[in-house]
Amino acid sequence: MIEIKQLAKKFKVENPKKLSEQEKKDPRLKGRFFHSVQDVNFSCNTGQVLGLLGPNGAGKTTTLRMLSSALKPDSGEILIDGQDVVKNSILARQKIGFLSGSTGLYGRLTGRENIEYFGTLHGMSPQAIKDKIEELAQLLDLSTFLDRRSENYSTGMKQKVSIARAVVHSPKVVVLDEPTTGLDIMATQTVIDFIQTLKNQQTPVIFSTHHLDEVKELCDTVTVIDEGTTKYNGDLSSFTALANGSLHHSFLTTIGKG
Amino acid sequence: MWLVFRKEIKELLRDRKTLFFMIALPLLLFPLIFGGVAYFSGKAIEKAQTKTLKYAVIGAEYAPMLSAKILETNDLSRINTDLKQDNETGIKNLVTSEAVDFVLVIPATYSNDILNTGQNTLNLYLNDAGLNMVQRRLNKVIDDLAEVNRDQAFRTLGVNDTIQKGLLDPIVVKKISTADKREDLGEKIGGLIPYMIFILCLQGAMLPAVDIGAGEKERGTLETLLISPIPRNQLVLGKFFTIAFAGVTSAMVTVGSLFVWGVVLSQGMAIELITEFMGAISAVDFILMFAMLVPIVAIFAAVLLSMSIYAKSFKEAQGYMTPLVFIVIIPIILAMLPGIKLEGVYAWVPLMNVALAIKELIKGTMDYMALIPIFLSTTAIAGVLITFCIYWFNREKVLFR
Repeated sequence: MIEIKQLAKKFKVENPKKLSEQEKKDPRLKGRFFHSVQDVNFSCNTGQVLGLLGPNGAGKTTTLRMLSSALKPDSGEILIDGQDVVKNSILARQKIGFLSGSTGLYGRLTGRENIEYFGTLHGMSPQAIKDKIEELAQLLDLSTFLDRRSENYSTGMKQKVSIARAVVHSPKVVVLDEPTTGLDIMATQTVIDFIQTLKNQQTPVIFSTHHLDEVKELCDTVTVIDEGTTKYNGDLSSFTALANGSLHHSFLTTIGKG
Repeated sequence: MWLVFRKEIKELLRDRKTLFFMIALPLLLFPLIFGGVAYFSGKAIEKAQTKTLKYAVIGAEYAPMLSAKILETNDLSRINTDLKQDNETGIKNLVTSEAVDFVLVIPATYSNDILNTGQNTLNLYLNDAGLNMVQRRLNKVIDDLAEVNRDQAFRTLGVNDTIQKGLLDPIVVKKISTADKREDLGEKIGGLIPYMIFILCLQGAMLPAVDIGAGEKERGTLETLLISPIPRNQLVLGKFFTIAFAGVTSAMVTVGSLFVWGVVLSQGMAIELITEFMGAISAVDFILMFAMLVPIVAIFAAVLLSMSIYAKSFKEAQGYMTPLVFIVIIPIILAMLPGIKLEGVYAWVPLMNVALAIKELIKGTMDYMALIPIFLSTTAIAGVLITFCIYWFNREKVLFR
C-alpha cells in the first residue's frame, strides 16, 4: 500500500509580473513563493484504485510528480509498504510506475525498443525484458505494431506502448496523471481496461482525472484536492452520498461550491 | 551511461534530417561549392581575357606607331570617333553608354623620343568597377613600345647594360626566408583550420543537442526518463557524450571530405603542395591537435546540452544557440589575424589559445611545454561546465519550466 502524509511543495516565483490574474488572486501565493501543494494526505491499499480529483491548478500534477520522484517535496512523507521513499528516490523509481497524459515516445525507435530502453534503465536482464514485453503485448494487444517505428503510431497505439513502458519493471504502485486526457474513446477504453487489470492483480493505482464517469467505473476511494490541500478523503459510496447521487454535485460540495 | 549513449546514437542514426546535415551535406556540398566557384570564376576570367573589346583612340595622329600597334591587336576592335581631347564629358558618355569598352587619349605632346619630351601620360577612360582586363591587355602592347623607346634613349646616351639595370632598379633587396614551406603555408592557412574545425564541431553538435534536450521536453519523454532509476549524472554524461561524438564526427567528416575533394579537384602542382605540406606535419602533431580538440568539444557539448535542457522547445533551444556561434567565432577570428601569437594574454583566452596552438602545431613552431597549461586550463573549463550541466539537470526549475 501507499500512504501520503502532509505533503507540501512550494515554487519560487521568478517574475511576479508573469503570473496570471488567477494566480495573483490565489491565496497560495505568499511573498516570493507559490505554495502549490500545502497539505495533501491520502492512502491507497492493495487492490484499490484511488481517484484524485480537483480543479485545474489544484496541485494534482505537482502531487503526482512528487509521488513519481520527479519533484522533491519540501516536507511530508510518502510511504510505500511502510518505506519512506522521499529520502530514497531511486527506491521510489523502482517501486512506482508513472504515466502522464502528455507522455511521448521516442519516435525513431520502435515500440519494442522504447519499452526495452526503459526496462534496461531499470536494470532488467534482456531475457526478463523480453518475457515482460511478451506478456504486456498479450495484455494490451501490441503485437501488430510493436516492431514499427512509433512516430507513425495512432494516439491509441502510443498510449498502449506508453502504458507498457510505465509498467515494464512490475511496479508496486502505478500512478497515472490524467491518463485519458486528449484520447479518443477507444484509447480511453484501453486505459480503463488496463487500470481494471492492475486492480485485479492487486496493484494499487492512483490516477487523477476530470472525468467523473471514470471515477464511478473504477475507483474504490476518492481524494479531492483544492488549493493544494486535501478537501476530501473517502470511499466512492460516501462520496456519491454527499449530494443525491450526482458525482458532479458531490465534487462541488467538497470544494465548497456546491 | 553507455546505455543512454547507445540509445541516443541509435536514434540519431535513424534521423534522416540530422544525418543529412551531418554527413551527406559536407560530402556533397563541398565539391559542389568548390567546383561551382572554380568553374564560374574560371569562365568569367576566361571571358574577360578573350572577349573582343571595342575602343576609341583620340589623338592617334600624335602617335602613329602606337596607334598602328593597337590596331594590329586581334581582340581589340576600333570604333571611330570625332570627339576631341577636351570633351571629357563626351568621352565619359561614350564609355558609360557602352558604345566602347575604353577610350585611350593620346596628348599632342606625345613623342617616342623620351629624351626630348620626358614621360608621356596617356589617359585611359574605362569602367574600372567589375572584372575587366582592359589595362592588362593594353599594357601588353604599350609596354613593348615603351621598352623600345627606353632602350633607344639609353643607346643615345651611351649607357651600357649594367648601368641601365642600376638606373632602373638602383637597389634590389633579395629575400631569403628562413621559414620552410610548412611554416610559411602554416602561417597563411594555419588559422583557418582551427576556425573551420571549431565551427564545424559546434554546428554538428547543435542539431543532436537540440534533439536530446529540448526535444525530449517537447515530446514529453523527459519526465519518464527522469524518473527511471538511473543516476542523474550518468544520464547527463550519456547525453553529453552523444553530443560530443556527433560534433567530432561531423567535423571529421567535413574536414575529410574537404581534403579528399580538395585533392581530387585541384590538380598537378596543388596536389604536390598539399601532400608535401601534410607530409611535413608529424603524426605527433596531428595527435596533439586532436588532443587539444577534446576539451574544446567537451566545452561545446556541455554548453549546448545546458542550453538545450533549459529550453522548452526546439525553437527556443535554437534561439539560444545561434548567438553562441557568434561568441565562438570572435576568439577564433582574432586568432586568425596575422601577427597574433601564442604569447602573453592571448595564451589565456579560452578557445583562442587552442586555436593559436593548433596554428603553431601546423606551422611546426609549437613550444610543446606551452601546450600543457593550455590543455589543462581548457580541460578545467570543460570540467566546470560539465559539472554545471549535471547541477543544471538536477534543478526542478530547469526541467519543469
